[in-house]
Amino acid sequence: MVELVARTPCEGLLPYEAGEAELSEIIPKRITSLAPFEDSTLLKPLKTALGVELPAPGQSVKAKDGRIVWTGQNQFFVLDAEVPALDAAVTDQSDAWAMVALGGAAAIDVMARICPLDCAHMTASQVARSLIGHMPAIIIRTKTGFEIMVFRAFAKTLVNEVSHVMDAVAARGALST
Amino acid sequence: MGYSAFQLLKEGLTGNKGWRPVWRDPEPKAEYDIVIIGGGGHGLSTAYYLAKNHGITNVAVLEKGYIGSGNVGRNTTIVRANYFLPGNSEFYSHSLKLWEGLESELNYNVMHSGRGLINLFHSDGQRDAFARRGNMMCNQGDDAILLDRDGVRAELPYLDFENTRFPIYGGLFHPRGGTARHDAVAWGYARAADTLGVDLIQGCEVLDIDVDGGKVTGVQTSRGPIRAKKVGIVVAGRSSQVAAMAGLEVPIESHVLQAFVSEGLKPAVNHVVSFGMGHFYLSQSDKGGLVFGGDLDFYASYAQRGNIPMMEHVMEAGMTLMPAIGKAKVLRSWGGIMDMTPDGSFIIDRTEIDGLYMDCGWCYGGFKAVPASGWCMAHLMAEDRSHEVAQRHTFDRFRTGGGLMDEEGTGSQHNLH
Amino acid sequence: MRLTCPICGDRDRREFYYLGAADYLDRPVEGEAEATHRYLHLRDNPAGVTRDLWQHEAGCAAWLVVERNVTTHEILQVSLAKDEIRDAR
Repeated sequence: MVELVARTPCEGLLPYEAGEAELSEIIPKRITSLAPFEDSTLLKPLKTALGVELPAPGQSVKAKDGRIVWTGQNQFFVLDAEVPALDAAVTDQSDAWAMVALGGAAAIDVMARICPLDCAHMTASQVARSLIGHMPAIIIRTKTGFEIMVFRAFAKTLVNEVSHVMDAVAARGALST
Repeated sequence: MGYSAFQLLKEGLTGNKGWRPVWRDPEPKAEYDIVIIGGGGHGLSTAYYLAKNHGITNVAVLEKGYIGSGNVGRNTTIVRANYFLPGNSEFYSHSLKLWEGLESELNYNVMHSGRGLINLFHSDGQRDAFARRGNMMCNQGDDAILLDRDGVRAELPYLDFENTRFPIYGGLFHPRGGTARHDAVAWGYARAADTLGVDLIQGCEVLDIDVDGGKVTGVQTSRGPIRAKKVGIVVAGRSSQVAAMAGLEVPIESHVLQAFVSEGLKPAVNHVVSFGMGHFYLSQSDKGGLVFGGDLDFYASYAQRGNIPMMEHVMEAGMTLMPAIGKAKVLRSWGGIMDMTPDGSFIIDRTEIDGLYMDCGWCYGGFKAVPASGWCMAHLMAEDRSHEVAQRHTFDRFRTGGGLMDEEGTGSQHNLH
Repeated sequence: MRLTCPICGDRDRREFYYLGAADYLDRPVEGEAEATHRYLHLRDNPAGVTRDLWQHEAGCAAWLVVERNVTTHEILQVSLAKDEIRDAR
């Protein structure tokens, strides 16, 4: 029998540090995609279980357990929490995404180089779907930096591209001091 | 006026004061047998071949700006005959043959340089596709050599052969492909057409096309009305606007294509190199500048300038293919208006109005077509039937769906080519 | 060039995919060959203000109708295609 070994998407690649930026892997307990039907009363069990309404576009909210993140037109990700039985399009995507945290004083400079968003003007808990390099990504602003999600197959590319930019920002920083 | 070494020497030693304009600046006559709207490369070559091949010299070319001010003076100058599909294959083959005799034909140095063109491939599937294309090119009577990786390395040692995403497996070498001097082609045809009696009327904007009972009778211009038995619209980039003057709607959407030139460098790039997977191509001009470009900006535009993301994409692709290019500074960039047809191939055809013909839809490949386009448009206008190498390039192929020439195999939609 | 997505706000051109003229919203009746030809191929293609279809591909994925001036690249209005279709009905 082949022994399958479970690996996280960025296993062996992270953490990484360069200058004043650091990159580490986040491993959500569960990622559930949720696309509600038109009748919003169908979402009652979710509200009862998690204690919050669905966030507005471009926002995420902390729930009783985990959080709910807006991820597109009529689409949300429930991170870490169990989703109750629900009359909506619900899919388990726990193993489909790579998720990393970019922190440190230089995090905004790193994002400025690799993402077309105006990241400096995002506030904590704001969310955007955008690009990291040429990769589609979900970007969540946190108090200390950014959380970035890309399709799991892009994990190595994500780490490669972001760490390369971190090196470049660090080198630029070293030049200017 | 002819040119000679003696004359060059004499003028060089006497301050170049003896040169005279090489074509006349005539007032428009009240009537011509044929009026060509558009004094670009295609319009000028049409007028030249009307006079030369068909003996029709009572012809005017009406140009809104000045000769050479449009896309013929604003392109990346590549000349090739490496098309795959019947229709395009024989047309561009004919065009390349005309290029090869153009300097003696026009007695004008258009600086045609058959320096060789290499299309790179990066996978086994792409190799098969290029092998097949090469065979098609040979069947057409043109030249194609399939190079393996070492073969490409011998010709282009400065490329990065090992890049992770698109390692170079080989290339399809088209030795007769190359470049020419873009505006010299316009000047050469202008001078030759003028010598044969064609009136080149610059600063003359066509404002309306006169149609009477389904037949064209002339044009209204910024310099007064001009009657004509036949009118040819040869204004790629503005085809929709001019066609609309005759109440016609054409299958064209205008897009912007950018190109770039670096500072002058010592000779390094001896070929035209095409990196299709990265949407990047490159040659070096005789002045030393690296001339390169990429794909469309992918939105309709008449602005003659593009946006920064496509510039970044082209630079990234250049760096991927040829890391040494990073040392060169970009001197300037520009954008041109492309007549995009749904299948990516051009149109030389009659319109539904008697005596009104169109030569349009050159997408981003009009320059290499300049000689054959004029040859075929002149044939169509003089004989009222298509030339055999352009007979598939009709308007009707879109209506019927038969005979579309989708060279890239991407589908019949304007923004996919 | 930047487009203001009605859902996501002001965003860079890189996030958007361009499809073509907003004519694509007016599907002809199936089987009408001439109308299908016009729908697929013939375009006004004005050198001025156009309406075209874009998708916020790397963003919220909404289809947008963008009114813009193609000679200046000025963006005049961006609306959700689904609203445009609803209004038309």
